Amino acid sequence: MRTRRYLPTLGSALIALAALLAMLPMAAEGQAPKRGGILKVAYGNEILGMDFYTTPGYEMAWVAMNVGCGLVSITPEGKFIPDAAESWQASPDGLLFTFKLKKNVLFHDGSKVDAAAVKFTFDFVLDPANRSNMRQFLGAVHSVEVVDPLTVQIRLKQPYAFLMHVLAVYRMGMIIISPAVTQKYSPEDRRAGKPEALVGCGPFKLVEWAKGTHLVMDRFDKYFEPGLPYVDRVVIRTIKDPVTQMAAFKAGEIDFIADLSADHVDTMRAQSPRAQVMSGKETTPMVAMMKVTVPADGKPMSKDRAPHPIFSDIRVRKAVACYGMDRKEIVKIAYKGAATPWAGIIPPGTMDTVDVNHVCPYDPAKAKALLAEAGWGPQKPLTFELMTNTEKSVFNVIATVIKEQMARIGVTANIKLVDKTTWLVTSTQDGVFDMFVEDLASLLTVDQNSYLSASTAAWNHSRHTDTKIDDFYARYAREMDPAKRKAIAKEFQEYSVDKLYWNTISGSPFYQVAQPWMKDYVYQAEFKVVYKKVWLDK
Amino acid sequence: MRVYILRRLLQIIPTVLMITLVVFVMMRSIPGDPVVALLGDAYTEENAIKVRHEYGLDRPILVQYVIWLGKLVQGDWGASILSGRPVLKDVLARLPVTLELIALSMVVALAIAIPAAIIGALRQNTWADYAATSIAMFGVSVPEFFLGVLLLLVFSVGLGGLLPSSGWVYLPGTCQTVVCAAGLWGNTQHVLMPAVALGVGRAALLTRLLRASMLEVIRTEYVTTARAKGLGERPVVLKHALKNALIPTVTVMGLQVGFLIGGAIVVETLFAMPGLGTFGIDAIIARDYQQVQGFALVTALAFVVINLIVDLTYTFLDPRIRYA
Repeated sequence: MRTRRYLPTLGSALIALAALLAMLPMAAEGQAPKRGGILKVAYGNEILGMDFYTTPGYEMAWVAMNVGCGLVSITPEGKFIPDAAESWQASPDGLLFTFKLKKNVLFHDGSKVDAAAVKFTFDFVLDPANRSNMRQFLGAVHSVEVVDPLTVQIRLKQPYAFLMHVLAVYRMGMIIISPAVTQKYSPEDRRAGKPEALVGCGPFKLVEWAKGTHLVMDRFDKYFEPGLPYVDRVVIRTIKDPVTQMAAFKAGEIDFIADLSADHVDTMRAQSPRAQVMSGKETTPMVAMMKVTVPADGKPMSKDRAPHPIFSDIRVRKAVACYGMDRKEIVKIAYKGAATPWAGIIPPGTMDTVDVNHVCPYDPAKAKALLAEAGWGPQKPLTFELMTNTEKSVFNVIATVIKEQMARIGVTANIKLVDKTTWLVTSTQDGVFDMFVEDLASLLTVDQNSYLSASTAAWNHSRHTDTKIDDFYARYAREMDPAKRKAIAKEFQEYSVDKLYWNTISGSPFYQVAQPWMKDYVYQAEFKVVYKKVWLDK
Repeated sequence: MRVYILRRLLQIIPTVLMITLVVFVMMRSIPGDPVVALLGDAYTEENAIKVRHEYGLDRPILVQYVIWLGKLVQGDWGASILSGRPVLKDVLARLPVTLELIALSMVVALAIAIPAAIIGALRQNTWADYAATSIAMFGVSVPEFFLGVLLLLVFSVGLGGLLPSSGWVYLPGTCQTVVCAAGLWGNTQHVLMPAVALGVGRAALLTRLLRASMLEVIRTEYVTTARAKGLGERPVVLKHALKNALIPTVTVMGLQVGFLIGGAIVVETLFAMPGLGTFGIDAIIARDYQQVQGFALVTALAFVVINLIVDLTYTFLDPRIRYA
C-alpha cells in the first residue's frame, strides 16, 4: 500500500529530474560568461612578422585584430557595428563619411584614441613610403580631416561602395595606430614584435612574440567595452603538423585550432567527437591558374607582352580548363565531396557571386574537338607543366586528378612540385609557368579580388592584359545601388568564365576547431578571429 | 696536447668560412626571393627595388658575403629579413632546445646500442643476437617522422595524454623568453618522445657498428689474458672489451651529429619544438637569408666542435693515443 502511495511521487520526481536534465544544456547556453583563464590557440603557420600594415599572412592579421581596434567592425551577417566609433554617417552623394568616436577608447599605453590618431593612421597607410598593404584598398580616399577631438571625416575622390568593408574587414580592417608610438619606434621594431612598438587599442595587449614558437597577449584592463575580454591571457603556438595539432587538441593542450586543414576534418571529428568543428561559406577560391601572356623581352614583369605558347589561345583554355576538367570529380577525391565545384571567378560564398558552372560542363569530346581546332592532337600532342606546392597536401591531390583528367583528352600534364616560396615568386613575379594549383585569398566582396586579377594588379597571376576586367571592377566599386552592383557582378562573372583568365575549380573550405569548453567564439572564417568575447567553461 | 687543440681550433675557422660561403651562394642561387614574401601584396617593382637596396641584396653575392662576414666579426649576426628580429638572439634562444634534444637522443641511442651490441657479440648467432640485429635493422628502416607519429598516437592520444604532444618546457635557467614554462619534470616529459624518435635510428646504426667491433675485440689476446687472469665476465666485457670497441663507435657518433641536426628539423617540426631545426627550415623555406646564415654558422660550429671533443675522448678510451 505504501509503495503504491509513493509511486506517483517517485514518478513525478523522475519526470521532474528528467525535465531538469533536459534543461541543463539550455542553462549552459544562457550561462553567464566566466572571467579568467588562459586561452591556448594553435596556428598552423608561422607568424612572419608583427608590423600590422606591412607583414603579409593571415596569422599576423589574426593577432592585429585582437591587439588593435578600428573604427567599425562587421558581424557574420555582414552588418557593420561600432568599434572605436560610436556612430557614423555618409553624405547623400557617398563622398563624405563622418565618424564620431567613443570617449573612453584608450591605447594600451593609456593615451587617448582621438580623431588625430585616426587621421594619423590614414595618412600613415596612404604614404607610399610606408609600403602598407592596405593602401591598395584606399585609392578612393581623398583626405581625412579632424573635425573635433572625437569627430573625423573621410572624404572620397569618387563614390566607393566598399569603404566600410575596408575599414572593418579587408585584411584586418583599419587598425588605429598610436601617433606617438609609431613615430618613436622604427618599422624594424614593429616587424620584430617589440611590445612597446605595437601599442593598440584592442582587448588584448601584446606581451611577447617569440618567432616560430609562441605569442602571448594579456587582457587589457582598460578596454573600452565594459567587462571584456573574459580571458586573462591568450597564448598562440605554432603547430605546423596537423597530426600534432589533433593530438594536442585531444590531450587538451590547446583550446582552439585557428585553421585546420580540410583533409584532417574527418579524423578530428572521429578523434574528438565533442569538438566544435566550425566552417561556413566557401569564400576562398581553389584555382588551376593558367598563364595567358609572357614577357616579350624575356624580362619578368615587362609591360611588353607576348602570347603564352599554350594558354593564350582561348580554345585551348576552354578545352583544358572548361570542358576538360571534371570539377565534381576533383571535389569528390580531394575534399571527399565537402566543397562546391565552381567555375566562376568569385567563390561560392562571396557576396554577389553567380553560379556559372553551366558554362563549363565536363565534356571531354568537346575538349578534344576544341584542341583539334587549335592544332593539338595525336600528331602534335599538347604537353604542359602543372605547378603545385608543398604548403597543403590537397594541392597535390588536385594536381594529380587534373593530370589524370588531362590524359583522358590526350593532354600530358607534367606535375612540378615546388616549395611555397618558389611558387609565390614564380606566380606573382611573372615567372615561367603554364598552370598552377593553389587556393588564393579569401574574398568577402568581388571588389577585394581586384588586387589579384585586374590587368594592372601587381599580383595578376595569369598576366592577362584585358582592361575590360579592370572596367568591371571599377564600375562595381563605384556603384552604390546594391541591385545594380549585383547586375554588374553577374555580367563580370559571365564575361570572366567566358575568357578564363582565371580558372576556378571549387571553393576551398575553411575550418576552425574549438574545445567544448571554449564558449562564445564567433566564427567568421579568415576574416575575423577575435577572442574578446571568448570565455572558458572549465 | 695543447698545441693539438689549438691547431684544431684554428682549423675550425676555414671550415666554417667555407661552409657559410657555400650556403650563402647556394641560398642566393635557388629560386625564391625574400623580398616578395616581405612585401606581400604591397609588392610593386618600385618597392622591391627599394627593399633590395635597403638590405644590400642588389650587390654582388661576394660583396654581400664580405659585408656579412665583416659584421659577424663584430658580433653582429644580422637581422631576419622577414621579421626584423636579431638572428643571434633567436639562435641563442633556440640552441639549448636542440642541444638537449641531440644530447638526449644520443643517450637514447647508446642506451639501446650498448646492451644490444654486447648481447649480440657475446651470444653470436643465437636468437638473442638475431633479435638485436633485427631490431637494429628495424630502427635503421623507420624514419624519424614515422616513429614520431607512432609515439604521438600511442603516448599522447592513445594513453590519454600520458606525454605532451608538443611544445616545450625549458630546463631551469635556460629559458630566454619573457613567458615560458621551466621545470625538470616538465622538460623530461616534453623531450622524451622527440629524443626516442631521433635516437632509435642512431641506436640501430651504432648497434651494428659496436657489435662488429665487439666481435673483433673479444677475440683479441688481451681479452683472453684478462679471462685467464681469472677476471669475471662483467669486468672483462665492460672494462676491457667495450672500452676498446667503443673507439670506432665514438668516431661515428661525432659524424652522426650532422645527421642528428638534420633529423632534429623533422622531429622539432613534428613535436612543435622551439629549436634550431624549425628555425633553420622556416628560414630556408622563406628564403630568409640572414636567418639561414645564422643557422648554417651555428650548425657548422656545433659539428666541428663536437667532433673535436670526440677526437679528444680517444685519449680517455685508449691511453696509448697521444696527440702531438
